[in-house]
Amino acid sequence: MNLLFRIAVYVPVLFLIAVVVVGQHHDNLQDTLRSAVARTVRWAVWTAVLVACMLALALVIGW
Amino acid sequence: MVTKDGIDPAKGLGWGPFLMGFVPGLLQFQLGQKARAAAAFLSCTALFFAGWVVVGERLFYWGLSNPDDSGSVASTLSRFGLAVLPEVLNLPGNLVGALLAFDGSPEGLRLERMPRDFEHICGFLTAASGMLAAFWAAQAHWELRLRRDLRPAEGESRPAPTADPALCAALSWLVPGLGHARAGQKDKGVAMGIAVLVVFALGLLVSSGHAVDRANYMVWWIGQNLFGGGSLFAALVTGPMQSAGTPIDLDLGIVLCTVAGLMNLVVMCDAYTVAERSVFPVATGAANAAAGKEAGA
Repeated sequence: MNLLFRIAVYVPVLFLIAVVVVGQHHDNLQDTLRSAVARTVRWAVWTAVLVACMLALALVIGW
Repeated sequence: MVTKDGIDPAKGLGWGPFLMGFVPGLLQFQLGQKARAAAAFLSCTALFFAGWVVVGERLFYWGLSNPDDSGSVASTLSRFGLAVLPEVLNLPGNLVGALLAFDGSPEGLRLERMPRDFEHICGFLTAASGMLAAFWAAQAHWELRLRRDLRPAEGESRPAPTADPALCAALSWLVPGLGHARAGQKDKGVAMGIAVLVVFALGLLVSSGHAVDRANYMVWWIGQNLFGGGSLFAALVTGPMQSAGTPIDLDLGIVLCTVAGLMNLVVMCDAYTVAERSVFPVATGAANAAAGKEAGA
């Protein structure tokens, strides 16, 4: 349950961080939000890849 | 990246102005702004000592390292208060405070560890003096930058920025996004401000208000204090709250509040840049490429 809660918090927080990060490269809200969505998706995919790699490592090493 | 006038904004002002920025008002004095220099020095010193009278030697305990008998570099730096962030940005006040408060005896070391009344708000005040010193230094750097890079043609007046960049950064420290609003990007400022506020509030919520506490999580607090309004709220409201037990998501709350502080650092820098670009607009891609070729040749 706690893990589910943390995952539920992770993606919205990722989006909010993306708003601030990509906001530096835009002058208006619309462009900022559009880029933030794209950036969040990219970061979420990288997170999934990272978790998959760690799980694979755990299987190989046998932790 | 260069500006439309071919100026490279990344070109700094050198070590001299950087180091002088640690003494509030010194750069303004050098610029010939004596009244402003006095205001900078007095505001930072008054803010520091308003908090110092209560926290005193507690600042050593909140430092990145503690003064001890080892004689190491870290210990020596701590002895003079140089390991306390962000107070170290107000160097003279912090140095005098450290010299007055240091007591190497066992009794002095015991006092460092003793919580005291109103330490949350007073710890915020001493930290705010460091942040204020940084904003005064940023203001002077902006003036130096204008004198170095802005040379209007004969008969032309010097263009004024939409807002003072250092003021925009300072406003964003207190209320994320307010600096953008002042610099002319209100809607983007609102979005960035809400982002910082939500992450910070979420951190406080999941930790039952205990995530922002200088007395217990001093290293994390350095990051959290980059959102001044949030850490002020925590110092006044949530910091003094008694803890019945450790909240289950305390670690998550501490990380979220620190992330919010770091996000606000980006917001502050961007607010400064938005105001800066009203005087030094960024060049197009072609001009940048030409400048790059010139630099390479």
